[in-house]
Amino acid sequence: MSIRTFRYGDRGTVISVSGVVPTVNAGCWTREWEISSSQDKGRIIGQLHDLFDGKDEDIDFLGQRAELIVDEMLENALYSAPRDFTGKPLFAKGSERLILPGEKISLRCGFDGEQLFLGVNDSWGTLSPETVEHFLSMNVSDTDPESDRTGRGLFIMWKFLDYFYVDINPGVETSMGGVLSLYPAIAEKGE
Amino acid sequence: MDPEFKFEIHKDSMGDNIRFYGNIDSHSEQHFEELFQRITGKRVVLDFSNTVRINSMGIAILLRSIKSIKAEKKSEVAITGENRTNALLFRMTGIYMLASQYT
Repeated sequence: MSIRTFRYGDRGTVISVSGVVPTVNAGCWTREWEISSSQDKGRIIGQLHDLFDGKDEDIDFLGQRAELIVDEMLENALYSAPRDFTGKPLFAKGSERLILPGEKISLRCGFDGEQLFLGVNDSWGTLSPETVEHFLSMNVSDTDPESDRTGRGLFIMWKFLDYFYVDINPGVETSMGGVLSLYPAIAEKGE
Repeated sequence: MDPEFKFEIHKDSMGDNIRFYGNIDSHSEQHFEELFQRITGKRVVLDFSNTVRINSMGIAILLRSIKSIKAEKKSEVAITGENRTNALLFRMTGIYMLASQYT
């Protein structure tokens, strides 16, 4: 079994931090969903919206970011991860689909009042560390925004999450996630 | 349930004001093809005040649409009404490189 965990540092270099996965404090609110169809995405995002909406401006902002990240996580797990033996995607983005026999996608979240952990697992393990690195570096150096650039979803997750991790067990499982802060550095920097 | 995407065009002497409602994602693509056909103004303001969520597919659609409006309709494009998250998203994905912020 091969597991590799890594993240991008502030200067765009890959840093191996094997085994380090963000956690939230004990006693926080947690929730886990097993995905059974693509329709679950809207339902889960609706639940997150109800949880964060209308409390105050900062909580609203956290909720907006959480909904976006969960959208990207589930799009990735539902449509980018499933591939045939040639590496071709099995499903078109946005198509309605049921989870295949033996396939498993789960989403977890935990909120301790200041930090929101979000994580997704799929049972494909088709993403490679090199692909993640390629997608991030390609989008970072974007001076001419191409409309159909690949890997933009992964780039968005990395930019919004205060901590971003990817664990890959090739052919078995991909796990990715990170932490959104109530008062994020990204808002201060205006990036 | 996620709010369904739709748009409205309000035309005046200044140009076309386009209001987006709901989420902009892969399900919005066909609507943007229709939108492109209906644009006639030389100044186009995209109003995101009623937009909920824009994912990476939505960003791809917006980039493609703004480029087409500028290149083929020869129109100026401006953006207004975006929330904090969408403003960050526009900055990090290059939308603001193509369209100015309308004030």
